[in-house]
Amino acid sequence: MTIHNLYIFDKFGTLLYYAEWNRIKQSGITREEEAKLMYGMLFSIKSFVNRISPTDPKEGFLFYKTNKYALHYLETASGLRFVLNTDTSAVSVKEFLQQYYAKVWVEYVVKNPLWVPGTPVTSDLFKQKSDQYIRQSSLFASKSA
Amino acid sequence: MIESVFDILHYEVVKYSMGDENSSQQTNNTNLSTLEYIGFSTGYRLTERLTREWPRFRFKDDLETMKFICTDFWTSIYGKQIDNLRTNHKGVYVLQDNAFRFLVNISNNSQYLEEAPKFVAYTCGLVRGSLSNLGINSTVTAEVQNMPSCKFHIQVNSSNA
Repeated sequence: MTIHNLYIFDKFGTLLYYAEWNRIKQSGITREEEAKLMYGMLFSIKSFVNRISPTDPKEGFLFYKTNKYALHYLETASGLRFVLNTDTSAVSVKEFLQQYYAKVWVEYVVKNPLWVPGTPVTSDLFKQKSDQYIRQSSLFASKSA
Repeated sequence: MIESVFDILHYEVVKYSMGDENSSQQTNNTNLSTLEYIGFSTGYRLTERLTREWPRFRFKDDLETMKFICTDFWTSIYGKQIDNLRTNHKGVYVLQDNAFRFLVNISNNSQYLEEAPKFVAYTCGLVRGSLSNLGINSTVTAEVQNMPSCKFHIQVNSSNA
C-alpha cells in the first residue's frame, strides 16, 4: 500500500497545502494549474453525485477508483477539502483523513496564530508533523508490503 | 475545548494590542508593555482567587513563592508544571518550560523566532502580577532560543524586604 499525494483546498478553491510522496507520474503542468483542474473536477463530481443520486446523498462524494489508484475526498462542515491519492487497496481512508484533520490540521494550522486563514500554509512545524503523520500510517507502508 | 478558547483569545489579544501595523505611532516596545500589563492584572487577580483558602504562612520565603508559581499557578493556567526552576539565591530565578503552550503549535525550530516575544509578553505579566500580589516586586523577562521552549527570568527587586 502506498500514499501518492495530498491536496488541501479551502471552500473557495484555494490550494492551501500540497505534498507528495510516491508520485511516479507528474502532470506536466504547473502546480497552480493542476490545483485548479483538480478543484474543478471535484466540484463537478460533487454536483454530479448530488444531482444523480436516486436517494438522499447523505455524505455525497467519497472517493473514486481507477485500476491504478484511488482518490479519496473529505469535505468538512467548514468547507475544507482534503484529497488523498492512494493505491487501490487502501481501506478506511475516510477515518484516516478525519484523524489527519483533527490531529494535524487543527493543531498545527488552526491553532497557529501566524497562519492567516485562506492563505497557503508555510509553517515548517505543520509540514513536518503532516509528513510524519502520513509516513507513520498503515496506509503508507512501502509498496512491497 | 476550554483551553482552545483561552489560546485563541490570547492570540487575538496579542494581535489586537500589536495594533495596525501601518500606524507607526507606537513602537513594538510600548505594544508589548500593554500586553504585559494585561497579564499583570490577570495574574494579580488570579492569585487572589487561587490562594483564597491558604494561610499566609504557606509562603515562608521567596523560593516558596516561586515554587507556587511553578506548580499550582502554572498548572491552573497551562495544565502543566514548569519543567525546571533555577536560582542563584540572590534574587534571580529562571523558570523553564520546555513546551510552552503558546508556542507549541507555532514552531519547533527557529522558524518564526522573531515573532516569539509577542506570545510570551502576556505570561511575563502574569508572573509579575502574581508575585506582586504575594508581596514580591520583580522584573520578569522571557527568553526564547529554541521554540517551543521558553525561559522566564525573574529578577526580584531588592527594595522590598
